[in-house]
Amino acid sequence: MSDKLWNWRLWAGFGLSLAALAGYSFIVVSTGALSVFWPSLFLFVVAAVFLISGLARGRREPQLYRSKAAGPVLAILSLVFFTLFGIAGYKVFKNFPAANNAPKIGQRAPGFTLGDSGGKNVSLAELLSTPITDSAGATRATKGVLVVFYRGYW
Amino acid sequence: MRPVAISADTSEESRELCRKANLTFPLLSDRKAEVIRSYDLLVPGAGEDNRDISGIAAFLLDSSGTVRWRHFSETTGERFLEAAQKLN
Repeated sequence: MSDKLWNWRLWAGFGLSLAALAGYSFIVVSTGALSVFWPSLFLFVVAAVFLISGLARGRREPQLYRSKAAGPVLAILSLVFFTLFGIAGYKVFKNFPAANNAPKIGQRAPGFTLGDSGGKNVSLAELLSTPITDSAGATRATKGVLVVFYRGYW
Repeated sequence: MRPVAISADTSEESRELCRKANLTFPLLSDRKAEVIRSYDLLVPGAGEDNRDISGIAAFLLDSSGTVRWRHFSETTGERFLEAAQKLN
């Protein structure tokens, strides 16, 4: 038993899929960088390559590699990780916009005129051109506008 | 620098939030989500009663209205509002 070789590809595949799931969850939760989905998916693909080649090696040369018990268990666990990743990814895509056509850096932001909480109409052009009055009562031109979109209050 | 916040809430809901969180910048109401759509931030049916709502994003515009910085997140806005509500 102990003179058999360690089937490291299985463990590498398992480790990679665990890292992909953990990394994806951690980055999305802590930074909200949804695009981390694609590197994570890539990691899962690499993990699958390792797992499949590890399983194949174990089947081909069972007298040489230790993988009879570990192989299927690691493969199934990795599949579970991938399923969780798929569910999380689907939920994220469904709930958060890809915003592919959102104005990019260097582009002119679309103008708008909307009512404020008092029902008064406010336009972007107005926000950009109305001078700011500071606490001392002095007025100066605004350097710009920070437009924040939020989900709403409920 | 002048901040402004936009959501698909009604003016009444914005007024409530403004009062509760003591906000001094305008909360604009995009009930039909036209502006939210024009910024490609619409999240269909994700709000209360399956309302269409906005995703969370911020755009820093210079005085000509050109985007200089932008950020997308599903968590920043909520954390900000949470923090703002704790301020006195």
